[in-house]
Amino acid sequence: MSSVTTTHPVEQHAEYHPGGLLRWLTTTNHKDIGTMYMTFALIMFFVGGIMILAVRAELFQPGLQLMKPEFFNQLIGVHALVMIFAALMPAATGFANWMIPLMIGAPDMALPRLNNWGFWLLPPAAFLLTLPFSLALLGFGDGAIATGWTFYAPLSVQGGWGVDFAILAVHILGISSIMGSINIIVTIFNMRAPGMTMMKLPLFAWGWLITAFLLIATLPVLAGAVTMLLTDRHFGTHFFDAAGGGDPILFQHLFWFFGHPEVYILLLPVWGLMPHVLSTFSRKPVYGYKAQVYSFIAIGILSVVVWAHHFFTAGMPIPALIYFMFSTMAISLPLAVLFFCWIATMWKGAMSFETPMLFAVGFIVLFGIAGLTGLILADVAADAQYHHSYFVVAHFHYALFAGGIMGVMTGVYYWLPKWTGHMYNETLGKLHFWLTVISFNLTFIPQFFLGLAGMPRRIPDYALQFAEFNAISTIGAFILGLSQLLFAWNVWACVRGGKKAESRSWEGAEGLEWELPSPPPHHTWEIQPQIK
Amino acid sequence: MEQPFSNEDLERRRAASRRLGWLIAAAALLLYLAGLFIKR
Repeated sequence: MSSVTTTHPVEQHAEYHPGGLLRWLTTTNHKDIGTMYMTFALIMFFVGGIMILAVRAELFQPGLQLMKPEFFNQLIGVHALVMIFAALMPAATGFANWMIPLMIGAPDMALPRLNNWGFWLLPPAAFLLTLPFSLALLGFGDGAIATGWTFYAPLSVQGGWGVDFAILAVHILGISSIMGSINIIVTIFNMRAPGMTMMKLPLFAWGWLITAFLLIATLPVLAGAVTMLLTDRHFGTHFFDAAGGGDPILFQHLFWFFGHPEVYILLLPVWGLMPHVLSTFSRKPVYGYKAQVYSFIAIGILSVVVWAHHFFTAGMPIPALIYFMFSTMAISLPLAVLFFCWIATMWKGAMSFETPMLFAVGFIVLFGIAGLTGLILADVAADAQYHHSYFVVAHFHYALFAGGIMGVMTGVYYWLPKWTGHMYNETLGKLHFWLTVISFNLTFIPQFFLGLAGMPRRIPDYALQFAEFNAISTIGAFILGLSQLLFAWNVWACVRGGKKAESRSWEGAEGLEWELPSPPPHHTWEIQPQIK
Repeated sequence: MEQPFSNEDLERRRAASRRLGWLIAAAALLLYLAGLFIKR
């Protein structure tokens, strides 16, 4: 990775900035836009979290206690869409906006106005996604989308207007993500400081570069699929209607051509971030920089050729089953390289366990469980038993909560002193980590056993034999949800004040961003850093 | 040697970014339109 030979002058810029709401509406500054993305993601994280706590409350005991099955289905679908499109993806984009220009020595993102527009598409899209809930409460319509986040036809063709709202929202969210991706790609290609070659690029930027290409390659396919769904619903086409000569399985192919790379879209920024954190708190250089870059590229390529493992049980020719099984398993090879590099970075390092490092190590362990259980699901013979069971739910939450959300929290704790100029409360951070890890496992380990015992997902009621594990899982989920309030409080308190953070907030931190004051001035890297 | 990003340099970089940005956007649009005509 790169090192710097000159430092940025510590000076504040006294330029005109509009104040109040106008500042946030019109800003083209990458730091402001990064802050807006992160704030939006945090709010939507709690919105999606409340939805799933309502679901877990219903599942606390067998029988229907709190809600009708239709509403239960809506909560499940919108929870997933909110968490993926309105929490995790904006959080990662927030990181990119804040950090990529600082890390590559660029004065800003290459296309600042596009950046502003990309963000401001998000709130209306999230509003559209959740609006049908409110309308149903007022007596209009039958509520939000109730198909799960997968929009599977023919259910989605027959569903209420919640499906239309979700289709519109997904189009807007997709346009926003494509704008963000274009900006990130062109910024990395064109705005790097002199001397920062591609193989000196910080791994976080590499992770995001691959993510951006995946978004460009797959989001239009999702948009195409849901447009076809819209025309099936309202304009008399029969793309997914078997009675009209269409094919509902085609929808599954199109959806998962986006859906599987989406997993890596959510994870690659985190994988790029991890080496920075591990290296900092191990006080050692990153191990295997090139191996990690090539692994990112390999995973990016493999991720777009494995989609059909999500519906082995829908039926397909045996050669296709074998191909999708082995290609899926092949992803574990570059992923294993990443795990090896992360562990080797820590090996014999002078490690210390501040909150970001705790989250990073927790991420490695728990995300490892996601990988291993993923191998089980990739096995065609075994998948027939586990498909559509709670085993799948537990598996992908180990991937997307332990891998995605905990990864985001790693980054927030790591860079918060840089963003705010203050150190967060370390005791509170550690308490947040331990409560999160314990309650996360309390929530999802029982779900592995529920799945193995045969409990299907997306049902509001279940057989008595599943009662104990469901009760434990619900208790875990509420502790998990409530413990995130500690996170919100810690972030808020850090924004408001606290011990002053130094430029290099962590002893072992390396990289251009740590050459800047904390918080960095509104405009940075107007003087080109020189990269060795 | 500390050297500011000159206006010309920044404009050159941003113009290159705009060109590449339009190219990527066109590719994404093409992919979307192609998807609408897919048959199985």
